Amino acid sequence: MNKQSIPYTMLFTFLISFLFVLLLSFAHQGTAPLVQRNREIARQRSVLAAIGISVTEEEEIRRRFSEVEQLEREGMTLFRSEVEGRTVYAKEFSGAGLWGPISGVLAVRSDLERTVGLEIVDQNETPGLGGRITEQWFKDQLRDLRIVDGTVRVGPPGEGTTDKEDGMIDAVTGATRTSESMGTILHREIRRIAEAVGEEI
Amino acid sequence: MSNTGAILKDNLWTSNPIFMQILGICSALAVTNLLVNTMIMTLGVVFVTAMSSFTVSLIKQLIPRKVRMIVQTLIIAFYVIIVDVLLRAYLPDISRALGPYVGLIITNCIIMGRAEAFAQSNPPLASAWDGATSGFGYMAVLLTIAFVRELFGFGTLFGYQVLPDAFEPWIIMVTPPSAFFLLGIIIWIGKTIMNREGAPA
Repeated sequence: MNKQSIPYTMLFTFLISFLFVLLLSFAHQGTAPLVQRNREIARQRSVLAAIGISVTEEEEIRRRFSEVEQLEREGMTLFRSEVEGRTVYAKEFSGAGLWGPISGVLAVRSDLERTVGLEIVDQNETPGLGGRITEQWFKDQLRDLRIVDGTVRVGPPGEGTTDKEDGMIDAVTGATRTSESMGTILHREIRRIAEAVGEEI
Repeated sequence: MSNTGAILKDNLWTSNPIFMQILGICSALAVTNLLVNTMIMTLGVVFVTAMSSFTVSLIKQLIPRKVRMIVQTLIIAFYVIIVDVLLRAYLPDISRALGPYVGLIITNCIIMGRAEAFAQSNPPLASAWDGATSGFGYMAVLLTIAFVRELFGFGTLFGYQVLPDAFEPWIIMVTPPSAFFLLGIIIWIGKTIMNREGAPA
């Protein structure tokens, strides 16, 4: 058969596409359960981290996560847990960042007096700038921070704040837009948790 | 050019894809601020370049000339997706850190360049070797850039703190422009040495 003819070209293109796509589907199907499990573990670890439980072992993550209660409120899933004798609520969130969505988990005390912790699950911010929201120092700012006027604010540029009572967190230098996004997300998520929990209390 | 030593020297040095052919520059700018990410990404490129060159060479007699390049693209995309699937299943943390860059290996000109320039007219094993060594040439340059960028941008190497805490990270090193300067310097040094050796510049 003439290899430059149109029928051969069409047949060849069809067959080779079919073959490679078939192989890809096998690869995808074969690893799908593993990918799903990784995703679930990452999610459970984030929820636990936000509540303040830091675990890395897979077994430990599963065990501790199974102790966390899951509630459905206003179409949202809330996680409820007892930490040091206090009830803590955690909620997964997703909001707009600079380059793409930022998703994570925010945990607050049930009386909404203080935040308990923040964990970032996924983000596409500029590495080294906005991407630093995943660093411990940034997340630790939400550890036991007082919620003032029902929100958490990002502090003004140039002034650092280490006071846990003023309801303010530091922005990331060189990442104004990402910091603003985080401010918006935190504000909105605290509201949402308040609405969801407010009905219950 | 069929002997393995000559191919190795050619791809690592005299016609290094990055500093002699100036190919694959986008990823040299984008993924070189952390050594770990650079390492995984360039290993992916080595794998994809070697395997796609091998495959193209294997079926080159069957490919109609009209659809030659689109078939090469299909083969390259196939291997890139395989890398992506494997990372997602077995190295989820690195997969998350690399984000869209794994998929963008497809657009790396080096791979297409080797398939078209070498694999189309050489036997499969020599093509695989040519692809792998081209990948190594790319890897060597990217790791050098990443070494400098991570060291001064974060004060770490492969994530381990090596510079004292008092060191103030250089934000320029974290952002893509620093890779432009470093790449320029590497091309300059490379060409200078090459001219001194009397090789054709």
